[in-house]
Order: sequence, then C-alpha cells, then structure tokens
Amino acid sequence: MARILVADDSETILLLMRTRLELAGHEVQTAVDGQEVTELVGENEPDLLLLDAMMPRKSGIDALRELRAAGVAVPALIVSAHQDASDANAPTDLEVSGYINKPIDFDRLLEEIAALTQS
Amino acid sequence: MAVIGVGRFIQQRQDFEDAIARSYQVEMGARTRLAEGIGAETARDAIATQANKRDELRERISDDTRDTAILVAAGLIAGLTGALLLFSGLIASMRRPLEELVDAAGRLAAGDRRARVEIGGLSETAALGAAFNEMADELEREASQRDQLDRLKDEFVLTASHELRSPLTSVQGFAELLMLERDSLTQKQVETVEIILDNCRHLVRLLNDLLDLARSDAGRLSIQAQPTELAPLIDDTVRTMRAQTEPAHQTLAVQIEPDLPLVNVEPGRIRQVLVNLLTNAHEYCPEGASIAMTARAKGDEVVLAVIDDGPGIPETQLEQIFERFTRGDAGLTQRVGGTGLGLAISKSLVELHGGRIEVDSTVGQGSTFSVRLPAAPAIGAGGQQRATAEAG
Repeated sequence: MARILVADDSETILLLMRTRLELAGHEVQTAVDGQEVTELVGENEPDLLLLDAMMPRKSGIDALRELRAAGVAVPALIVSAHQDASDANAPTDLEVSGYINKPIDFDRLLEEIAALTQS
Repeated sequence: MAVIGVGRFIQQRQDFEDAIARSYQVEMGARTRLAEGIGAETARDAIATQANKRDELRERISDDTRDTAILVAAGLIAGLTGALLLFSGLIASMRRPLEELVDAAGRLAAGDRRARVEIGGLSETAALGAAFNEMADELEREASQRDQLDRLKDEFVLTASHELRSPLTSVQGFAELLMLERDSLTQKQVETVEIILDNCRHLVRLLNDLLDLARSDAGRLSIQAQPTELAPLIDDTVRTMRAQTEPAHQTLAVQIEPDLPLVNVEPGRIRQVLVNLLTNAHEYCPEGASIAMTARAKGDEVVLAVIDDGPGIPETQLEQIFERFTRGDAGLTQRVGGTGLGLAISKSLVELHGGRIEVDSTVGQGSTFSVRLPAAPAIGAGGQQRATAEAG
C-alpha cells in the first residue's frame, strides 16, 4: 500500500490508473501535467511517481528534472507510448526507476510498484 | 599551289607529247625521202636528230613528272597536316565538355544529385550540357520531393502509432478491469470482453509491426547485440508459444544441438523473429499439425528452423513472401490473425544481425523457415577470447 502520484494528460487514462491502483490497495493522486506534479509533490510527499513522458505544457521528464534538481529523491516510473519505452530519450541522470509501455501491463506495473515501495 | 603545279604540268606534258608527235612526223618524212632515195644522207641525219630530240623530250617529261609528283605529295602533306590541325582543334574543343558530361553522368548515376556540367565549348556540346543540367535539375526536384514524402510517411506512422496507443490503453485497460470482475458478469458478457481484449492485442501487434517497419525504412531500427546463448531463449519462446499451439492440438517439438556457439544478437529481437515464425506456423497449420523448432551449428553459422507439416506455400507466393502485406491464402484457415508484416520485419531484423532468412516449402507437405545467424567468436570459460581460427 503506497501513496502514488499519477500524471497523464488523458482523463480516461487517469481514471483507469486510479481504479486499478486503488483496487490493489494503493492511495492515488492525479495530475494532468508536469506543473501540477511539481506542486503536488511538495504538498503531499508521495511514495512513488508514475509520470507520462509526453504531456502538454510540462512533460513528466521535465517535471522530474525539476524535482531532482530540488533534491527530491522519490522513485519515479516513466510511462511512455513508445513501443520501446527507453526510446523516450530520458536523460540517464534523472534516476528513473523504470519504464512502462502503453498499453500498460498492469500485472507488471503492480509488481514494480510493490518492489519500489516495499520499505 | 599543288593544283596550279599539276595544271601546268599537264599543259607542259601535252606540249611535249605534241612535240614528240611532230618529231615522228618529221622522221616519217625523212624515212619516205630515204626510201625514195632523195637526199639519203640528209634524211639519215634528220632521223637521228629526231630520235635524239624525242629522247630529250621524254627525259624532260619524266623529270617534270617527278617534280610534279613531289609537288603533289608536298601539297597533299601540307593539306593533310592542315586538316589534321583543324580537326584536332575541333576534337579538343569537343573532348573536354564531353569528358565532363561523362564524369557528371557517372556522378549523377552514383547518387550525387548535385552533379552538373559547365556549359561551354561548341554550340552542340553546349546544348548537350544544357540538356544534361536540365535533366539533373528535374531529377533533383523529384528526389527531394520523394525524400520529403518518405519523411512525412515515416513521421506519420510514428505519430499515428504513438497517438493510437493512448486510446488503446484505455480500451484494453477497462476491458481488463471488467475481467477482474468476471464473476459478476454473464457468460455472454465475458465472451464479449474477451473479444475486445483479443482485438486490442491484435491492434498492439499491428502498431508494433508498423512502427518497426517505419523505423526500418527510416534506417532507425537498430539492435543492441550481445553474446547470447540461444538454447534458453528458444526454450522460453517455445514454452510461451505452447499456450497457443496446445489448444489447437498441435505438437511443438524442440530440438537444440548441444554446445551451440554463442551468437551476437539482441535477444528480444531474435525472440520476436521466432515468435513471428512460430505464430505463422501455428496460424496457417490445421489442428493437430506438427511444428518443430530446431537449432544447429553449420560452419560458422547457427541455423534456426521452424518446420511444419502444414499446407505449404505455392511457388508463386514464395517469392513475395517476405514482402510487406503479403499473406498466405486466408481461405486456408479462419484463425489467421496476422498483420502481413511479420515476415517483412523478421527479414529486416535478421539482416540487421548480419544473418539471412530463407523459406523452403512444398504444397501439401509443409514449410521450413530458416534463420542463419553468424556465430559469435568463441569466448573461453574464463571469459578470455580464444583465437577465431580455433573457434572455427
């Protein structure tokens, strides 16, 4: 059971994520862009970030870059619509914990979340 | 000059010939007089004189002939030399532009779209050069339009494949959500959701295939090769595939030669190729068919083969089978759900690994798809590289 901040520009995807993650017993907060992510992280201190790589205004990658620069070390998974998520060209210095492809394999995602939030 | 000389020579020669003729007439008169016994002494003198005179004339003719011949020869030589000089000038002025044309045409053919010639020289070569440049301009315009279209196409496929993934994620995700509560669904509802999920998986496969092809076309399909042991990869792939072949009562046998050499490949990509080949065998073969996956070393290659005893592929279709959107007769089976892209992608992937993919098929007996991959240089147990010669 973890506090997870999910960011995606699609309301439908956010609803899907919230439903699946809450079913698995997690506490879910949502954001529609990177700007909201940086604001919410400061307020709520989530255990894990689940960020869409491409969002309008501020992408998940840009938000993570700002957070890392500000010294926030929360684990982050990048969700990408690229077939091969590591194609998303995320810089290696952002301490990304993993990449999740769309369509999302929720069994795998839940396993990763469990592994990253165990402690 | 030679013409005047020859004319004068002909005139003179005529004069000499006339003189010789007159000399004969005089001699004939003298001989008549001699025969009639009139002034025999004078006549004999006259005959001798005329003979001498004719000899002299003949000598002069021969001298003149020689002089004229020399004159004519000199004239000819001078004329030919002049002509030669004239022509060599002409040839030289044509040669440079022609050489330049040949050179530019060669560069154009080799793909240098900027190849042009400098227009100059004779009007004919200048016209040729201008026509060449015009043609090259047209080719360059067409090529750049084609490049732009290609880029647009690649970009379109990449964007479409990317954009379609989000709604697909929702459809698949919510269908899965329904399946999590399958106990509260009717049998009919469960079947309906299963159809949705099946089609989602098919769409994902299609998107992945299209993306791979677009990347391959754009030269952006790359592999990260690493020394790989094939046996576990094959075993694992076959195990996954049995989930599909077992319900169809198809046997899926594996035969891997012991001590296969390592291959330098990206494991995920080779698995993708094997899944494509095995899925084809499964989908095109009837229930109860035998499918075999084999791996063996041959020379400095490892040969992977997917062998089936299915309907086989007619010879007319064998040639295009690795081309995109080519599919076997769908009438053979209802289960074929492929995209028509699998073999085209498999071929691209195998070739990216420096290998080859081949098909051998007999209608009514079955098909064999072989993938030949170059063996990696052998690595010793201690991680040390053995000599390649020893490995071979």
